[in-house]
Amino acid sequence: MSGEPNDQDGEMAAQLKRGDATAIESLYDRYGRLAYGLALRILNDRNAAEDVVQDAFLGVWRNAGSFDGSRGSLRNWLLSVVHNRAIDRLRGTAKTRQEAQLETIERTAGMPDPWETVALDLERKQILEAFQQLPEAQRLALELAYFRGYTHTEIARHLNLPLGTVKGRLRMGLEKMRSYLQARGVTP
Amino acid sequence: MTITHAEADELLGAYALDALTAAEARRLEEHLAGCPEQAAAAAELRTTQSLLALTAGEVQPPPELRQRIRQAVAANPSQSGTVSGPAAAIVPIRRASRMPRWAPRRAYLAVAAALLVSLGVGGLIGYQLSQSQQPLAYTFQGDPTRAPGADARLVYFRDRQQAVLTVSGLPRLTAGHVYEIWLIKGGVPVDEGISADPNGNVAAPISGDVPRFDQLAITIEPGEQQLPTTTPILIGSLRKGH
Repeated sequence: MSGEPNDQDGEMAAQLKRGDATAIESLYDRYGRLAYGLALRILNDRNAAEDVVQDAFLGVWRNAGSFDGSRGSLRNWLLSVVHNRAIDRLRGTAKTRQEAQLETIERTAGMPDPWETVALDLERKQILEAFQQLPEAQRLALELAYFRGYTHTEIARHLNLPLGTVKGRLRMGLEKMRSYLQARGVTP
Repeated sequence: MTITHAEADELLGAYALDALTAAEARRLEEHLAGCPEQAAAAAELRTTQSLLALTAGEVQPPPELRQRIRQAVAANPSQSGTVSGPAAAIVPIRRASRMPRWAPRRAYLAVAAALLVSLGVGGLIGYQLSQSQQPLAYTFQGDPTRAPGADARLVYFRDRQQAVLTVSGLPRLTAGHVYEIWLIKGGVPVDEGISADPNGNVAAPISGDVPRFDQLAITIEPGEQQLPTTTPILIGSLRKGH
């Protein structure tokens, strides 16, 4: 299975760049469930999640010309858009964070693609394991930052912890996940 | 105001998770522009951050969403395609409001009440009630015989009416079984989702308005159930004084 998703992603990206609207349907059929699952996890509201997914797919469609497949996968880009728009909606600051959102998408798309070398199912299982094996305190910090959109200052205040502790948990959580996955050959 | 190398190092994790304020992020980025070593570390952390999207899992969207996206795309030309001209307005989203997720379960009230009698209450160790502007934090321990050593923490954020549940040390699952989370009010359990980590850990968002419920419970079920079919391995009060 390895490699196949990216072959199909490459073809879909080429179609999108040509303005072929059927590619959006292919993209939706392939990643719509992932996108919706992510939006629902963040928003806990089916209507809001649907709106975010629609908005994200439309954003990908309208900006496909700027997508550079050599800098990151189509899936990575799509999920980054879903994540950012869902967090914006949660924070209720969609307009004020617009600039930051675009920066984030660009930055994320420029990262080495973490999905290039492994098949989706196996990879997801291992990533979930990597997240779940974290100490509870680190997992909660990542949960609050990534899925709830809190800043480190807000997390520290809400959990009544020193800011330095929260900073440390966020970084350690990510590093432990990476180590866990690297030991299983998942990350580049 | 510039930041030091050590200060930048402290911020990298929060930066990768977009958990800095805009001003903090800007100052850090100014530093990273002149520090290839930390810029590489930031990129590495960002790569790991992007993997978190895949921990959410797939959920089947409603069938009409595909059609809505198709219509929206048809009404909005791609900036890169052969279609030219100004972008049309996005197709507005208009739907009838939907039933609350627990509404269809009302038919099961009688069954639920009967089941709850058999479930009993036990395993509650304690809770913490924070100040009025702080989130509510509850801690629980597992049933001494069914889940000895299990620790649960439920944090409810008043401003967003959402909660996060983290549990560790639950009994390991056997094949085909899941942990199922319940909020209970007036003897009626509401399904708050399942987790299937075989190692006994749960990290899950809870969508219910926690303070309106009486209890939190976790059962081990043979797949997701509409109502509990087994005795809880962890159950605790969400009410002050209980």
